Amino acid sequence: MSFIEWIFLLGGLAVAGPLIAHLLAKPRFRRVPFTMLRFLRTGQVESRSRRKLRDLMILLLRCAIIVLIAMLFARPLLHIRYKPSGARPVYYLGLDNSMSMTYSDGDGSYFVRMADSAVDYIRSAQDDALFNICALASGDWMQGLSKGQALAEVKDLKIEPGNTNVGDFLSGLSRISRAEHYYDEVSVLVLSDFTPNTFRQFVNVAEPAAVDRIDYESIVSSQPVSNAAIADAHVVGVVEGKLTINAAVVNYGRIEQNRSLTAGTGADYSYPIEVNLSANQRKSCQVQIEVGSAGRRQSFIPVELNLSEGDGLRQDDIFYLAVSIPGREEENVILAGESTNDMFLIKTAMDTLSRTDSYDTLRIKQVLVNELEASDLDWADVVVCSAVTDRLDDLASNLENFLKAGGRFISFVTETAASGAAKQLWRRDILAALPGQYVRERTYIQPKSCESRAVGVDHIAARSLSNYRIDKILLKGYLECERHPDARLLWQLRNGCGFVYLKPHGRGTSILVNTSVDDSLGSVTKSSASVAFCRYLLGESNQLGEHCFTRNERVMLPVGDSGAAFAGYRQFWVETCDGKTRRAAVVDSFLLVPDPGGIGWVKTLGRPAIYAGVNLPPGETDMTGPDAAELDNVMSRVFATGAEKDISEAGVLREKKNRPLWKLFVWMLILLILVEPAVANRMKR
Amino acid sequence: MNLVARSAVEGFFAGLHPSPFHGFSVEYSDHREYHAGDELKFVDWKVFGRSDKLYIKQFQQETNTTAYILLDSSKSMSFAGDGGVSKMDYGSYLAAALSYLMLSQSDSTALILFAEKVKKFIPPRSKRTHLNIILTALQYNRSLGQTNLAGVLHTIAETTKRRGIVILISDLLDDEADIFKGLAHLKFLKHDIIVFHTMDHQELNLDYEGLIQFEDLESKVRMQTFPQSLREGYRKRVSEFLDNIEKTTGNSGIDYCLLDTSEPLDRALVAYLAKRKRMM
Repeated sequence: MSFIEWIFLLGGLAVAGPLIAHLLAKPRFRRVPFTMLRFLRTGQVESRSRRKLRDLMILLLRCAIIVLIAMLFARPLLHIRYKPSGARPVYYLGLDNSMSMTYSDGDGSYFVRMADSAVDYIRSAQDDALFNICALASGDWMQGLSKGQALAEVKDLKIEPGNTNVGDFLSGLSRISRAEHYYDEVSVLVLSDFTPNTFRQFVNVAEPAAVDRIDYESIVSSQPVSNAAIADAHVVGVVEGKLTINAAVVNYGRIEQNRSLTAGTGADYSYPIEVNLSANQRKSCQVQIEVGSAGRRQSFIPVELNLSEGDGLRQDDIFYLAVSIPGREEENVILAGESTNDMFLIKTAMDTLSRTDSYDTLRIKQVLVNELEASDLDWADVVVCSAVTDRLDDLASNLENFLKAGGRFISFVTETAASGAAKQLWRRDILAALPGQYVRERTYIQPKSCESRAVGVDHIAARSLSNYRIDKILLKGYLECERHPDARLLWQLRNGCGFVYLKPHGRGTSILVNTSVDDSLGSVTKSSASVAFCRYLLGESNQLGEHCFTRNERVMLPVGDSGAAFAGYRQFWVETCDGKTRRAAVVDSFLLVPDPGGIGWVKTLGRPAIYAGVNLPPGETDMTGPDAAELDNVMSRVFATGAEKDISEAGVLREKKNRPLWKLFVWMLILLILVEPAVANRMKR
Repeated sequence: MNLVARSAVEGFFAGLHPSPFHGFSVEYSDHREYHAGDELKFVDWKVFGRSDKLYIKQFQQETNTTAYILLDSSKSMSFAGDGGVSKMDYGSYLAAALSYLMLSQSDSTALILFAEKVKKFIPPRSKRTHLNIILTALQYNRSLGQTNLAGVLHTIAETTKRRGIVILISDLLDDEADIFKGLAHLKFLKHDIIVFHTMDHQELNLDYEGLIQFEDLESKVRMQTFPQSLREGYRKRVSEFLDNIEKTTGNSGIDYCLLDTSEPLDRALVAYLAKRKRMM
């Protein structure tokens, strides 16, 4: 046995503590005159000896506990010498159960052939052999199996709609064989179709696995492969009630494919698009399907793209794409400036924004801030003021009601803010920050916002502002602002002062921007970032969304406009691809589904349902088999045998096997800690 | 001592108790038929004259009983477990009470104080003033020396000429076989024996807690121990010891009364009177 951190063994010197205490501590007896000592005498001898035994046992236990703790910290290793006589055959089987193995030609499916090969291999092994089986797609290990158990496991193996993960198999093989079967005779069998994805993983293996014997078989068809697949699909947009989708269709085989592509949303189907693909050709096709005009509320449409039948693998001919169509909204915006001209720039930006946005229409009304009336606030959804003026003070109570009703109040600043009105509005919790003294000092804006996904503003627009290099825009001056306790600082200046403050008011929002709406304090609204800045201030926009994931990804269902329905819940039930009902956690505005249960649709229960499509990983069903010589070369490099094995082990392992003993020590420690009080109390009687 | 003895006796036993012996007296008791060997002076000639039959007159004897009170005064009797009354004091009160009781009925009462040997012998007298002598002796008695109960009992048996009641007040901490031999010697001489076995509550139960160093009062032997660990065995052994004494005395016709010094004296006096009643 040796210790990795032997210095901790010095901690064992702490046993001196209980030893000294044992030697120095003497029991204090109370002197009592007595008469009937002859009746005590027999018991006395027994009692004293028991006491001595107890003291000794407790001392030993405590010393052992201290020594064990010291040894535990020193990380003990047990060296076990090589015993070749005890070697026994151990088999590691890596069986590919990925979706590509469902490919079927005239001779049956790859998967059935693979299972037959595995069964033959297991049957040919010795009766006392030990089997460890790894399903390459799911990464599940079945360890320590007897021959019969291994046969049963192979028969129970099922296809997993994901791609293979060779890393799991090889790391598990190295870990188990080094830890438990280092001196056994280790044989490895890999059965796979070695699709490009799988083969690439073998190619990228850096450290070879030392084994005694390697067998592998490439399960491929003797005939040319016939397989086309929908590799990917994206939403282009909705025009005149028609949803346009671009789909990438690939011929993964060698036989020319003449197929037709359709898109369906339940009862509605698109016109089939003829797709002609030569060997290994990739083509982009566009399909259109009627979805109607956008309603007032957001809707989710599960679109199933379907390639007509005609190849050996049906599962990759379907692509699941959920499309979210936002509700059409109109927003009434009031631009209140001190003069007609100072709102010109921002009005221009908002006009542009309104034109470019498919789903949000901005109806803009421009007024002088001193002529702002309560009725204007009743009409508006958004009020943008160029400065904090006394008129706002007069309308303070109206503004409060406006915010409570869900309105958005955006205020810019000028060099001279009406301090009285500002204080009044700040005290009434309307302003997100109290504008103070003007500082005539040139400064720049921070390149990124303080919060990446801040609620209340458009975070996509925030990224756009960073891309527009908002940090390069020079500010001529700024106001020293005091943040309201309930407000958040969303964006900072480089000197640390605040640039954008946001204060939520229930459903409403109040924003203070520490620059002018014209170019008197800075040129944000004059820059090319002005449209993105307007979008940022107006909050999240409505966009077409597509929700599809691969089998290996974490599925996130967007709560979207239905968020209110999920408010207050931390978990929600969803129906997964296998038809089962599973729990999904609500995080921010998404439902996280831990296991989609295959490929297909994941949807929320109840109406309106929120959909997400789960598809095969790209390239999973690419049936292009590897070159045999190349496969031999790679496999001989990945699995080191014979002399190569010795060389491989030389740098990694030693003649002796080092087995960590910390688990044993921990159990012993726990046992001793439990026994110590029991001994102390039991022996005291 | 006088006050204790009087209050103990008068508080509970106001009436006289009869003497168990029939002999010379003035109070007529009964008649019985004459048997050969009876003294002629007890023949009731008046009855003979009337009925022509010989009857003997029996009288109740009142004052001719002799009581020997043996009080163990060895060092072990000075033990007082919880700081209460020591066995010695308890025994002295009992001896005083019994002396008062007997002398008030004109019984001759002797007091023998002993340890290894007889320390003081007050011969039996029935005079009222004799009580003062006994009480004075008890008051100035001090526990000293080791117990040699068997030797003392043999000595008493050899020196007492008149049979009577032997009242032994002791903790009996001596060799049991020797004690029984001594008691058997007295019994052989036709003495009636009452043994008041005086024990402290701690001696009976060993209720000490914690680490204790016991020191023997007589031999000064020390012993370090944990009483709580020994209690069970100790009680068992003490119980066997007491059972053995009770059984052996019972078989020998000796009255045995175990007294716990934590209990009042009444029990001892009740035991004594019960014994006297049985003798009637």
